[in-house]
Amino acid sequence: MSDDPRFVGRVLRASTRGFDCGNHSRKIDAQHDFGNYVCAPIANSDAVFAVGLIYKVEVKDDQLISELVLGGELPNAILNDQRNNRIIPVEVKVLNVGYMAYVNGERRCVHSLPPRPPMSLADVLACTEDEIYDFTIAFDFFRIVLQASEVPSDDLIAAAIQRAAEIDPDPDGRYRFLVNCGRRLAQDLSHDVKRLKHILSLIHPSMEA
Amino acid sequence: MTSNPKELANLLNQTRSAPLVEQELGVVVGGSISKGLVVRLNHHTSPESLAVGRYVVVQGDLKRYFCMISDITLESTNPGIQADPPDITDDFLKQVYSGTMAYGKATVTPMLVIDENDQIGPVKSIPSHFTKVTTATQQDVSRVFGEESSTNFFVGSPLELLETQINLDLKRLIERSIGVFGKSGTGKSFLTRLVLAGIIHRGVGQTLIFDMHNDYGWQATSEGAASVKGLKQLFMDKVAVLTLDNDSAVKRNAKIDYVVQIGYHEIEPEDIALLKNAMGFTDTMVDAANTLARLWGKNWVQRALNASAEDVEMISEKTNIHTGTFDGLQRRLQRFLKWHFLSEAVVENSAERILHTIVDEQRSVVLEFGRYGNELGAYMFVANFLTRRIHNAYVDKIEKALGDGSPKPPNLVITIEEAHKFLEPQVARQTTFGVIARELRKYNVTLLVVDQRPSAIDDEVMSQIGTRITALLDNERDIAAVLNGVSGAASLREVLARLETKQQAIIMGHAVPMPVVIKPRTYDEAFYSSLVDARPRAANPVAALSGRPRAQL
Repeated sequence: MSDDPRFVGRVLRASTRGFDCGNHSRKIDAQHDFGNYVCAPIANSDAVFAVGLIYKVEVKDDQLISELVLGGELPNAILNDQRNNRIIPVEVKVLNVGYMAYVNGERRCVHSLPPRPPMSLADVLACTEDEIYDFTIAFDFFRIVLQASEVPSDDLIAAAIQRAAEIDPDPDGRYRFLVNCGRRLAQDLSHDVKRLKHILSLIHPSMEA
Repeated sequence: MTSNPKELANLLNQTRSAPLVEQELGVVVGGSISKGLVVRLNHHTSPESLAVGRYVVVQGDLKRYFCMISDITLESTNPGIQADPPDITDDFLKQVYSGTMAYGKATVTPMLVIDENDQIGPVKSIPSHFTKVTTATQQDVSRVFGEESSTNFFVGSPLELLETQINLDLKRLIERSIGVFGKSGTGKSFLTRLVLAGIIHRGVGQTLIFDMHNDYGWQATSEGAASVKGLKQLFMDKVAVLTLDNDSAVKRNAKIDYVVQIGYHEIEPEDIALLKNAMGFTDTMVDAANTLARLWGKNWVQRALNASAEDVEMISEKTNIHTGTFDGLQRRLQRFLKWHFLSEAVVENSAERILHTIVDEQRSVVLEFGRYGNELGAYMFVANFLTRRIHNAYVDKIEKALGDGSPKPPNLVITIEEAHKFLEPQVARQTTFGVIARELRKYNVTLLVVDQRPSAIDDEVMSQIGTRITALLDNERDIAAVLNGVSGAASLREVLARLETKQQAIIMGHAVPMPVVIKPRTYDEAFYSSLVDARPRAANPVAALSGRPRAQL
């Protein structure tokens, strides 16, 4: 198990549309936040990384958990044992929104589905701030999120925007970024005013943590 | 999709670092030559920052289109936003929605084209979709309107480009009749004085001004009640000021060259034909006047005024004039008795003296009406009386010049106020003014008509007015009359109706390459000083360097 603080998990299953990865429950931390940017190398390549957004973090149950839930008071030892030593991983679901390709050492970001999915057990890492910055220079990946019916797209795009805004230490820069995102959303959702209003309320600068 | 989102984002101008302020106004998204180009405004371009009448430039692949904003509209991509508008007191929402879901559009009318060889020409094509639109620069305007010169006279500056000069081509200006139009109080006299000053200063012709309200001669009063110099004070020896009312001139302390008097014996029936509406002369009375003139000769007016019972009986016996008609004619002629500039004996022929001043002395003439300026009948009578004779003399001189090569008389611009009274359809075809307007520069005489009701002027006369200088008009018929025959009239209509009530005018026609809204130059000490120097003011250096020919629409 990697000790890299960016480590999110290992790929359980994958497609070009997205992938699921798993990690031990005791490793779950900020890098697994909803809306965070993660990346994983695509199959048979060490230069292309699928970039995705975490849209679901799932803690699965098993027979023993079900029985314990129905039982009476739980001793701390059992509780900690179930949390720290469970053999069922926490599943993290990721929607692919693009990929990063390294060409001659230069990172190029593409806002389209990756050519191949990551392989099983590939390491999934949270994107660095540099990677997020580069990836969010343009906003074309909004379209992939907004059109993804299998994800809570409104909340996901808002969380992704807020996450990308956070990395700018300059308040004016953050504000300008949010305005530019809002303007792009206003274009992409010009047909759906109510949805636009909802998302704008979620990314409003007053919502900054 | 491009493989490089940075490049694409830059193209779409939607990058993380995209500035909120840009340079251009927007891009062309549609339109036609006849209806103008539709420009979608960029999000940073507030519709409030634009105004109809201002210039923009569309930089096509091969040509630069010089355009005028003719309309501005507000649009939205979704009608739903109109039903439930966002709260734009929230600055974030305002910046998000403005220019995206809610945006502005401007209609711009292409006026001129500058081709790849920097030649200026009329518009015969339009730029392609998504061509950038920017505000016109000082260089653009200077290139189109040229620099001040011996025949180009600086009259004002385009809106928002107050350092730029708009110059009238005076030679072209006086080739055809000129119209100065505008509602009452919009500065028609000021604009007229400016144009006349240019004509006199540059010496492109002489002017004869029938100065109804003593606005042009020695001194005039501006709206702010301050006195401004008249043409005489500005040009002294180049201008002669005449008056019909010496008492008024003395009271106003105006320097007068001489007092005009007209003898009753000089009056011909044609001189009263124009007064049908102003003084109630009927066609029958004018016919009767003709008959009396044949019967009594030159003294027909005095004889008619002093007619005895025997005279009336003789007239009814020897002519076909009905007694009632004669009585009516006599009553109307009796109004002449109040006009003290008419007398039984005059020392000289005023028309000939004015002609001598204009032709031989090469001086312009301002005829002040004094108290008679408030009597439309007197104004029309005198203007018609003198103009008929001067025009006839000009016709003789020009025909003589054509025959024996003698010198032609100088170009003459005759200025009349309340012009529609002279040029209304019922009388325009019969009067000298209608003739002058229609015959263009054939006899070196043109009109400068000053009027607030251009719709009342005969259509044919209006169509012959080469240059129209128009302050605010708000009557639909007047606007239509001024724009009749002007290219791109539909778009100019909006411009014209939205001029400021003061210090704005649109100039269109023969003397400018394209219609232009100007803020006239100030008529003050600086203006006076500029006229003292015989040379034209230093031209715009950019225009001077360009030296490019001017095109005409």
